[in-house]
Amino acid sequence: MILELDNVTVTFTAGPPFRREHVHAMRGVSLYVAEGETLGLVGESGSGKTTASRVALGLQRPTAGAVRFEGKPFPKRRRELAGHMQAVLQHPHWSLNPRMRVGASVAEPLAVLGEKAPDRVHEMLERVGLEAGLATRYPHELSGGQRQRVSIARALVTRPRFLVFDEAVSALDVSVQAQILNLIKDLQREFGFSALFISHDLGVVRYIADRIAVMRGGEVVETADTATFYTAPAHEYSKRLLEAL
Amino acid sequence: MTALLEVRDLAVEYDSGERRVRALDGADLTVAAGETIGIVGESGSGKSTLGSAVGRLLPSTANRVTGDVWLAGERVFDLPPAGIRRLRRERLGFVFQDPIASLDPTMRVGKQLKLVLGSKGDPLSHLDRVRLANPGRVARMYPHQLSGGMAQRVALAIAMACQPRLLIADEPTAALDAQVREEVLEVVFSVAAEAGTSIVWLSHDLTAVARRCSRVAVMYGGRVVEDGPAADVLGQPAHPYTAALARSAPAMASLGDRLSPVPGRPPVLAEASHGCAFEPRCPYAEERCAKERPELHVVRTQEALCHRATELVTAS
Repeated sequence: MILELDNVTVTFTAGPPFRREHVHAMRGVSLYVAEGETLGLVGESGSGKTTASRVALGLQRPTAGAVRFEGKPFPKRRRELAGHMQAVLQHPHWSLNPRMRVGASVAEPLAVLGEKAPDRVHEMLERVGLEAGLATRYPHELSGGQRQRVSIARALVTRPRFLVFDEAVSALDVSVQAQILNLIKDLQREFGFSALFISHDLGVVRYIADRIAVMRGGEVVETADTATFYTAPAHEYSKRLLEAL
Repeated sequence: MTALLEVRDLAVEYDSGERRVRALDGADLTVAAGETIGIVGESGSGKSTLGSAVGRLLPSTANRVTGDVWLAGERVFDLPPAGIRRLRRERLGFVFQDPIASLDPTMRVGKQLKLVLGSKGDPLSHLDRVRLANPGRVARMYPHQLSGGMAQRVALAIAMACQPRLLIADEPTAALDAQVREEVLEVVFSVAAEAGTSIVWLSHDLTAVARRCSRVAVMYGGRVVEDGPAADVLGQPAHPYTAALARSAPAMASLGDRLSPVPGRPPVLAEASHGCAFEPRCPYAEERCAKERPELHVVRTQEALCHRATELVTAS
């Protein structure tokens, strides 16, 4: 088991004292991601998907419940996790530093670990289907699909065991989207990482994930194998999502 | 029934010093009053240029080589400056990709709406119409204080303030968070339906367009290569490019299938294409595809620009 969320609750509070409002972003959510598998997480806006990803990455401390990464609770210092888990976000041009050359961006996670390996950067760029010559370019010189490939290269360069894809293909052209989805599948076969793939688009999640969890109003309403989702989802809400395709 | 918008054989080139790019290469499009039409294409297919050409909003580096645009019976490119301003004011609404950049950063939202409405208009009712919560508060805000979804609703309120005949939405949700998209689209379509406004929605998402629009036009290499009822274009594409686009949508794949993205890259034309622009990427290409520009073929309910459209459809 790579990651386990055990009965996790996250509550956000807002407003002045005595009139505090409490918003439950997650309510008693239990999820797990097994070795080498992809868990897809779908749900409408405000269902708690992004909060779940923040909890999984250790960026958000749960109000109640336990999170275990590789069987152990999260270390006190998040830095110890550096290089073990990574994230790929929706807009590659927001997640890449516009003033850094692509090669330097990809090398940055290695620098955090105190490693220097220029060949690994070039190798990684080739693995995601980019020419090594692109390393000296700036993000604005690349197309959207190329930029997303760079973010994937950057996420994989430390060979993490767990990745979070948060709406990673939502901002791309349909044909580019298909290329990136295939790339993620191929890289997963090659590197054997586990992944949490978050999207509002059931079609995408169904294609990429081994198991799917459906969130609604901060709760997981259904978890099932992908095959089930192609044929017979159990929960009323999952059926509605499927019909919308 | 006369068409609200008619684009005939429109070709537009961008000249940037030494490099010339032909963004539109003889595009044809007709939109009837009250119709919702989605224009689908990859980045660089010329859909934004087509959208701006309707309002004569092309940048100064662009020049129209051939073709004409008629909007509500008027020839857009022949109007005097005062005429085109009146046409934009009364007949056209635009919603662009980046909502915050389309608003004036130095002016409160309410005041910007007042500029469009004139002195007698009530900005709050227009903000309410696009389902913004607490319109009074929003009217006092500056654009930088708005979230992307709110700003796009404000932009829509401004575009729809004068009840235009035609709303051109150029990827209105591309810069928004995936989760707010559906809400904003819902507002765009319901507000336009109430006002009886036609919509031309430019997008790259074939399935999303097919879900909301009655008609779909697919653009490739600066031309409209297929045009027809949404369900038919998506379900039984007549043009090989549309078929390839539909195949690459993950929602269409069945269990265990591998997605097949369209091979190669979209073309960047420097001059009028000699043959079919899709020929280098097309699995069914033959000799004449590279040499002759395809004519319009009517296949079932669709119109397709493909030499082999008729024979491919009968073969399948």
